[in-house]
Amino acid sequence: MPLVEPGATGAKTETEAVAPIKGGNPGQKRRLGLTFWLSAGWIFTLVFLALFRDILPIRDPDELGIRTREVAKFESPGRNAFFGGDGQGRDMFARVVQGARPALILGLTVTIIGGILGSAVGVTSGYLRGKVDTVTTVFIDIALAFPGLVLLIAVRATFGNSMFVFIVLFSLTSIPGYARIVRGASFALSERDFVDAAAAMGATKRRIILRELAPNIALPVLSFAFIGFALVIVAEGGLAFIGLSLDETTWGKLIADGAGDIARHAHVALFPATVMFLTILAFNLVGDSMRALYSPREVATQRRLRVGAMADTGSGDEVLYIDDLFTALHTPNGDVHAVDGVSLSLKAGEALGLVGESGSGKTMILRSIVGAFALADVTRTGTVEVAGVDMLRAEPADIKRTLGTQIGMVSQNPLTALNPVRLIEHQITEPMLVHTSMSKSEARTRALELMQQVGIPAPERRLREYPHQLSGGMRQRVTIAIALANEPELLLADEPTTALDVTVQDQILRLLSDLQRDRKMAMVLVTHDLAVVKGFTDRVAIVYGGEVIESGPTEQIFSNPRHRYTVALIQSMPNLDLPSHSELTTIEGTPPSLVSPPRGCRFAARCPAAQDICNTTPPSTNEASEHWFRCHFPAGDDAEGAA
Amino acid sequence: MAGTGTAHLRHDVVLSVTELVVEFPARKKQVVHAVSGVSFDLDKGETLGIVGESGCGKTTTGRAIMQLESVTSGSIRLNGVDLAAEQGEQLRQARKAMQMIFQDPVSSLNPSRRVREIVREGIDIWGQTREGDVDAWVAEVMESVGLGDEDVADRRPHEFSGGQCQRINIARALVMEPDVLILDEPVSALDVSVQAQILNLLEGLKRQFGLTMLFISHDLAVVKNISDRVMVMYLGKVCEIAETADLFSRPTHPYSRALLASIPGNTLGLPQASELISGELPSPLNPPSGCRFRTRCPHATDVCTSTEPELVEHEPGHWVACHHPSVNA
Repeated sequence: MPLVEPGATGAKTETEAVAPIKGGNPGQKRRLGLTFWLSAGWIFTLVFLALFRDILPIRDPDELGIRTREVAKFESPGRNAFFGGDGQGRDMFARVVQGARPALILGLTVTIIGGILGSAVGVTSGYLRGKVDTVTTVFIDIALAFPGLVLLIAVRATFGNSMFVFIVLFSLTSIPGYARIVRGASFALSERDFVDAAAAMGATKRRIILRELAPNIALPVLSFAFIGFALVIVAEGGLAFIGLSLDETTWGKLIADGAGDIARHAHVALFPATVMFLTILAFNLVGDSMRALYSPREVATQRRLRVGAMADTGSGDEVLYIDDLFTALHTPNGDVHAVDGVSLSLKAGEALGLVGESGSGKTMILRSIVGAFALADVTRTGTVEVAGVDMLRAEPADIKRTLGTQIGMVSQNPLTALNPVRLIEHQITEPMLVHTSMSKSEARTRALELMQQVGIPAPERRLREYPHQLSGGMRQRVTIAIALANEPELLLADEPTTALDVTVQDQILRLLSDLQRDRKMAMVLVTHDLAVVKGFTDRVAIVYGGEVIESGPTEQIFSNPRHRYTVALIQSMPNLDLPSHSELTTIEGTPPSLVSPPRGCRFAARCPAAQDICNTTPPSTNEASEHWFRCHFPAGDDAEGAA
Repeated sequence: MAGTGTAHLRHDVVLSVTELVVEFPARKKQVVHAVSGVSFDLDKGETLGIVGESGCGKTTTGRAIMQLESVTSGSIRLNGVDLAAEQGEQLRQARKAMQMIFQDPVSSLNPSRRVREIVREGIDIWGQTREGDVDAWVAEVMESVGLGDEDVADRRPHEFSGGQCQRINIARALVMEPDVLILDEPVSALDVSVQAQILNLLEGLKRQFGLTMLFISHDLAVVKNISDRVMVMYLGKVCEIAETADLFSRPTHPYSRALLASIPGNTLGLPQASELISGELPSPLNPPSGCRFRTRCPHATDVCTSTEPELVEHEPGHWVACHHPSVNA
């Protein structure tokens, strides 16, 4: 649902990896949980008692026990009267049940009237914007600032204590709250393309509000309505306590009445208070559970990192050594095998391109190296070594030091990677001050050097600026400077140019490549764009369905691709060498499920060359050779090289 | 760089945009010059690609034609009717003949509605616009975008992948039988293999329905594949407009050359991009005088500061707005 967008790009990438579980319907599978059902049960019971109070075997709440002798004065709670009796021997249980009716009538009518009117005001204001919105917002602000109690006292003096007066009054005061919430939601919704799309179809404003916006704000409004319902009950209780309530017997009145004797006969006030408390709690909990239905954050698994069995260790001269890495994300829909038996190694000065489509697991390989999984319960098995440090099993302090000093990260979106409220200078010097013994002035000098090395003009001035004052390309240069601060041996670049314009992309790729070669760093360049790795990497690994399915020198991957998926991927890219209107090669079907990956070759279901063996047996390969691939019927030169 | 000049416009076209200006108010009484005097036209059955980087005004141009942004000045004539002169209900009626596809295929679909309702939306809004059975027509359109399966219509958008969602968007537009289809980065959010499917689909639909398309994209390779003609924009102006093959084989405006040279792994025989473009995009609040590209152009001279270049026909059908065009590409 639209109201809460996943904020961090990290979270988004992870959902991408989880996305192939489709088929099912994530929206409907979300559970409401025990608290919801308990709360709903409580509310249902209340409604039942309030409705059928007269025909249920409950005493007359106004019958005085001191007269009928059925209930004693201040009788203690027990078999005779569950909640005991009050000062005049009235059955407290009957009195509490009696109080449920006005509470529910008041809450329900106020919530419906206030909710509908407030939503109407909010959605109109949020969608139309402009002057309408400005005026409405001012009115909402004034209304929210207006002391409701003063209004109540004034109105009460004139119109009396009837239920009708209370409903009108409470409804009026609840409108601004709903209006504000709905306005915010509509404002955000109306920026989504489907609203523009409807306008482009020629839909009238009325139709857009009713058909496009209203259904999408209904659930959030409903969830807020439950909380608003609770607020009405609280408000009435508060007013009753200062003697300003309805004519009817309400919980607030019961509490106020019992409060005088609370020292000796606590039960008289305690039972109505408990019922009121539980009711308010129940409404709030129902509201919250419903919010979980449309807020993706609420259903995310708790963050947890686990480590499984170890594979071989590297020979020592690799900067990055990954052997038989398995990464599984434990989600409510099952285990997602995001990385499934990947082995990679990189020596100093080598650049590796990791290429795959969304959900292939390429970003997960990178995340498995640094152990950064936003909102996920993850198990990693196998070996990941960076500069000889076991990134899965070493002491946390060692892992942290390796992350800070040996690994530099460049992410897709430079704006979210940088802290918007800190000066560029502080963001560049921080890794040096945290992980090295450098003094502040040394770090500053080094920051200036770095700014020059990444090609930022007027670095002195730029150091004293904030991220928003820089262009997208300049921001990415800053994140590269930060990544280089501690002279890492390994540079991890995750789609570093995807968010940038093509002329800027060219500059940033050249910069990364030059720095990597000059400093003899190992670099992993993750991208969905095959063209990007051409010319900037020594080797390429093609990732599909959580596996590396082909790996080799960049030149050979382009000139002699062997795996059928690699071939299709290269051919499906629009190519400048082809004339206009050329038919592009497509890959039919969808990527395999990472929850239950296919038994044989992962690409078999979409492969034009697939035969029976492909569905049953995973292709074997010699990963030690320079150019290897997992395919029974490879394309290219010696096509007889079938397994 | 100047898109001033309308000499390149043709007669008897479906859509004709003349001297389009779109400005947005900014803080401190400043003005964002998003589109500054852009002219182009679209012939029936033609696909015009608009390329350029962020801030060049390509998306704003598309939205302005669609009347999703208010036009500051200039005219947009659809089948000879000036949309800028129409208002309110008349305008709503007049632009029924245009439909738009947006960049984010998922966000373009109302998550709470079923595919059937979404695709039929135009008919629900406008009433029956064609003779014959509406349901059969909707089914035919669904079939032609590759959503022929029976159960598709009853499902909701979140059950579909990005590529399938874009097919739904295309079906929704096609149901209205638009004279002009405006596509704003329709494949940028999709994976390469899915992108190829959608591009092939659009080519097929163009033949099947005789579509006239305005295809807006930052991806030059995609634009080359789908377009009959290409227009290059920079900072709210037109740099160059030509037949696709001419533009890619002989890019003549310095900015077009820089753009093409920046494509990763380009094989067009151009110098390195860093030799063709320098510096950063100027602010659209205060664009450079004369040619807007002069601050980044290696060939810029005094005349570029003082005089805005007009679109001039260099070869038949190849129009360039530059004082120092590079002929030797």
